[in-house]
Amino acid sequence: MQDKNLVRRRRAVFAVLVLASVGLLTAAFGDSGPLSPIQRAAQGILSPIESGATTALKPVRDAFNWVGDTFDAQGDNDDLRAEVDDLREQLATAETSLRDAGQLDALAELHEKSGFPQGTEPVTARVIAQSPTAWFSTIQINVGTDDGVEVDQPVVAGGGLAGKVTEANGGTATVTLITDADSAVSAEIVPDGAGGVLKPQVGNPEDLLLDFLERDDEIDEGATVVTSGSTSTRFESLFPRGVPIGEVSEVDADERELYQRVHVKPYSDLRAMDVVQVLTG
Amino acid sequence: MIPTPGAFLRVGVILLLAVVLQISGFAQMRILGASANLIPLAVAGVAFFGGSVPGAASGFAAGLLLDLALGHTAGTSSLVLTAVGYGAGRYREVRDPAHGLAPMAFGLAATAGYLLALGGVTFMLGVEASVSLLVLRDVVVTVLLNGLLALPVFWLLGRTLRGALVSDPLARGRRQRTREAGPIGLRGLEV
Repeated sequence: MQDKNLVRRRRAVFAVLVLASVGLLTAAFGDSGPLSPIQRAAQGILSPIESGATTALKPVRDAFNWVGDTFDAQGDNDDLRAEVDDLREQLATAETSLRDAGQLDALAELHEKSGFPQGTEPVTARVIAQSPTAWFSTIQINVGTDDGVEVDQPVVAGGGLAGKVTEANGGTATVTLITDADSAVSAEIVPDGAGGVLKPQVGNPEDLLLDFLERDDEIDEGATVVTSGSTSTRFESLFPRGVPIGEVSEVDADERELYQRVHVKPYSDLRAMDVVQVLTG
Repeated sequence: MIPTPGAFLRVGVILLLAVVLQISGFAQMRILGASANLIPLAVAGVAFFGGSVPGAASGFAAGLLLDLALGHTAGTSSLVLTAVGYGAGRYREVRDPAHGLAPMAFGLAATAGYLLALGGVTFMLGVEASVSLLVLRDVVVTVLLNGLLALPVFWLLGRTLRGALVSDPLARGRRQRTREAGPIGLRGLEV
């Protein structure tokens, strides 16, 4: 009899926990559920702990990653990579400017529209937590609304675009990376100007897909991909125009159907970021 | 597991540490493109030493903490980790493994179950992006890394939870040393 009670109690506990999880899922699904304030409060409590742990574990992480880098014979490349990142940024800006210079005056008016963010003010932030699975590509950063960070503001890393702010509290913010399954960024290839929608491939952060390119556009491997100024996702927002994202790594002939699709290798190493910048203002 | 305030405190600290260490440290330490994941190991460990009910409760708590900390859809990780904790605990209760490498098998199975089930739940919630086959490589590497980490993690958990356990499968599995040799036929008995 006691055994039966034990079994019943065990199953009841399991059923209650599963139902609670499903209830939470239902309440949280859709991003504007009643759980958002609770999540914000929890993040406010946890962020100092995460921040402390990140600082405390940095030597361990650095040592671990240094061993990995050395193993891959990449230890000496950091300075050169930083320089290449700078040059790419300059190149992307120059190519975007070059293309803009050839546009008619009417287009210049379009660029002056309020929808195009001008003169963004970067706020530097440290990454304090990172999602542990491939299904969610989010990071937590140690700046928030107190520092002028707001939802939907773009976030850039060393090489280029990293993602956008999807939640902001007093001292922390959640950034959804461009490798997240929900991400979709409107992008164009410079200097030709072929435009499409950049989407990730879950599980492969080094290979993004630029989709919906016109079939007749001639795309060269190695061409630079930059933001074209708007996003098309469930949460609409605007990225500033001309932020470098990556370079075309492969043009697959088999994927030339109604639209063509190309593979893009992002400039930023989105799985190993310590410092990012939020473009506020 | 004896449900004392001390036991709750120990399990709570273990889960909090596992989540914080994972998202602030382990998630950024990558081998072959993937990283170890302490969270299913911690949940499986509590289930291994405590049974199905503590396992399921730990899974729910760890999942909720993870989802809240990272702003994921709340309930996703809770649902999966509750099932992982309950399943690991039930296996321990029914089969009662006492082999020295049992933690490794638990770690491997719990991690594989967690990652595959999380993928399934995420798919059910809707994935708009295409999915690369490399996600399978991530799963395999994480499972293997967790298999290696399981032995030290379970050893640490066993030491931390020892005072709160009804029975320790690993301690029970070890052979007791005879203190002194007795007469033939009575060896091992204290005579």
